[in-house]
Amino acid sequence: MPISDALLVFCQSLDAKSYYEILGVARNADSAAIQEAFHSFSRVYHPDQHVDSPPDAMDIASDIFKRAVEAYRCLSRPVNRERYDHDLKRGRLRLEPGRPSSAPPPADVRTLETLARTLEGIAFAQKADRLLAAGNLADAQVELANACKWEPYNHELSERLHLLYEALELSSS
Amino acid sequence: MATAVGIDLGTTNTVVAAVRDEVVTTLADSRRERIFPSVVSFHPSGSVLVGRNALERRLIDAPNTIYSIKRLIGRPWDSPEVQQARKQLPFELREGPKAGTVVVARGEELTLPEISAFVLRHAKVVAEAALGEPVDRAVITVPANFNDLQRAATKTAGGLAGLDVMRILNEPTAAALAYGQDQARERIAVFDLGGGTFDVSLLDLADNVFEVLATAGDSALGGDDIDVIIAERMVEDLLAKHRFDARTMPSGFARLRILGEQMKCALSSSEEFQLEVDDLVPGHRGTSVKWRFRMTRPELEWAALVIVERTLTVCQRALEAAGLVPSQLDRIILVGGATRMPMVARKVEQFFGRAPIVRVNPDEVVALGAAIQADLLDRSPKRSQPPAANPRIAEQSFASARPSTPPSFEVPDLPIIQPRPSSIPRSKSERTSDPPIELDLDDTMLGPAFGLPVLPPLPALPSRRPPPSRSAPPPARSASPPPPIPATRGLHKPATSTSIRRGGKKKKGPLLIDVTPLSLSVETAGGFCDILIDANMPIPCDRTRSFGTAKDGQTSVHLRVAQGESKRFADNTLLGELELSGLRAAPRGAIEIAVTFEIDANGMLKVRARDTRTGNETAARIQLVGAQVEAADLAAMRARQAAHPLETG
Repeated sequence: MPISDALLVFCQSLDAKSYYEILGVARNADSAAIQEAFHSFSRVYHPDQHVDSPPDAMDIASDIFKRAVEAYRCLSRPVNRERYDHDLKRGRLRLEPGRPSSAPPPADVRTLETLARTLEGIAFAQKADRLLAAGNLADAQVELANACKWEPYNHELSERLHLLYEALELSSS
Repeated sequence: MATAVGIDLGTTNTVVAAVRDEVVTTLADSRRERIFPSVVSFHPSGSVLVGRNALERRLIDAPNTIYSIKRLIGRPWDSPEVQQARKQLPFELREGPKAGTVVVARGEELTLPEISAFVLRHAKVVAEAALGEPVDRAVITVPANFNDLQRAATKTAGGLAGLDVMRILNEPTAAALAYGQDQARERIAVFDLGGGTFDVSLLDLADNVFEVLATAGDSALGGDDIDVIIAERMVEDLLAKHRFDARTMPSGFARLRILGEQMKCALSSSEEFQLEVDDLVPGHRGTSVKWRFRMTRPELEWAALVIVERTLTVCQRALEAAGLVPSQLDRIILVGGATRMPMVARKVEQFFGRAPIVRVNPDEVVALGAAIQADLLDRSPKRSQPPAANPRIAEQSFASARPSTPPSFEVPDLPIIQPRPSSIPRSKSERTSDPPIELDLDDTMLGPAFGLPVLPPLPALPSRRPPPSRSAPPPARSASPPPPIPATRGLHKPATSTSIRRGGKKKKGPLLIDVTPLSLSVETAGGFCDILIDANMPIPCDRTRSFGTAKDGQTSVHLRVAQGESKRFADNTLLGELELSGLRAAPRGAIEIAVTFEIDANGMLKVRARDTRTGNETAARIQLVGAQVEAADLAAMRARQAAHPLETG
């Protein structure tokens, strides 16, 4: 079997494996054993070990290695490992699955402009967006407060204003 | 046949090295110097001078002689570092496109990677002359805590210099690679105080795997800061003694900085030093007055204390990140010219409770490590021999073999090998001739990693010596046969092991597992950070997050990405804005884009995005504003490089 195909098969098999299985360690392995296993794994799958392989093999090795890093990082930190063990019992193989969750889109991608509803409110919100993008929280807060005056019942907008106050407090302290 | 080299592109000096015939050596220029200043001077003729020739023009043509670029590369115009440099440096800096910084030399605007490209071109010329063959690939080192923008700018510089940049390698990691592994298993700290940057990296070495546990640094802290402190003292002294303000003179402060550096270096080997300068202070009718400036080592140490203390704070941060205490480290390695100050070694010893080691010349060790990595990564089909698993360091790079450097620090427990007088040519011409001189060491004294002298392996522990790899036979001069090879430690049997293990045939060569120095995050509401990838995560690594649309029919999503350890987004370094555009029109929230943020083996960010419903990889366009050099810009930069021939010789 060519090396690329062999790597690809192994890479695809990782999705069905727990972190313990990826690194090939026992559930009760101590941190030294986990580190040793990670090193052995790296000897085979680190992309630098594949400089003489075809370029696609190197890319696949890189993908495999990244999964081992995820496993190593999780299992070598007691807090994460505890959380993972708990999740694993419920059949979750990854601490933070790469698959997107079904939760609603996070608020962080919504600009203030998208939250405002009145013409005036949108105008102020746009200004606040621009100021936020420039890192000018203080002036953004003034503009956002103006937008809120036009839209007193817009809870999302006033929530953002509240967040901005908090951010300003944090930066001044 | 083309060769791959390692280049230490330093703030103050640049060094180029290569592996040849199992020996790693720094390469000398036509002046037989192995270290050249990272200075670029634009001559009226249109040609460009680099190195010592350029340094000499720092005083006669200050506005067109550019240095200390590494402090500024990859930093935005409004960063404090650039704004401070504007006041200190005698050449003009201007705001360039995309909030970048440009240098103005002879009326021409050049970006910072272009300046570094001239230095790299010179390194390439030096290497080609020394090796007698073309050089087209290189591993270039950067401070470990360089962010994505600084790494990307360095890589751009390499490309402009006509080099395929095989890897952007962290300087302390390179140094660790050059020193190699001493014991079967050990933890080491690399303390790297260069001209403009400070890094400390903690590594775990086992079976020739170099795993970086943590790294920390300050990219605006270095030996140059001590020069400035001394220069400021000189300003006061001149005012007091001669009522002369050096700051009012063009390039006056630059001159004092050079004198400050001289003073610093002199006080590394003597307790007291006096400078006499004849041509600085103007006297009556065009004459000048002699100015004497005296300083003692305790005076210097008192002034430099604040700088050295800052390095120890950074060490503490690295230890905390790795979950270690100072006594858990088996070796402390000093790297960088500024570690020649006796005070630095003393403070490091106090902090770690262990005497640091300076076995390899601290100015050359990073380039040597970069050359070893270049050799390991070289997959040129035309290469005549496999990479050297255990290249040895050429004799002239050992710290103990350089009488010009101050006495090296005590190295307890480990014997320092004196070269055999019979085998080492002593005359000057022979010493600098090519090929490099090899140490004629007993086989038993060869170190297990790269031929650094270490204790002979104990007979009871044959596993200390790695079995010779198939690809790199042991040196021919080995008198005795190698000891019995222990069976390969079969710790891990992956599912498809048989076919893949064949691929890992360079099993015994060193393997570096480095980390990303800074946390990567996206901006959230209220200007906070949502961390995607933690600092000190092994690389390459990635993390996938999904983002959605907020409005009906929204066809693009904007995200801002930054690197840094602050919780407030604005306090970190903005890498750019990610624009996921060209989304299909759909109701609010119906589109989810899975964005994968990858830190590659160079420590550089790569982003790809996918529409999770359609699985369509092309659904999103990604633009990291400011991070990528556009093709048109690159063409203009290439044209400017071509317009300036390098003055050689």
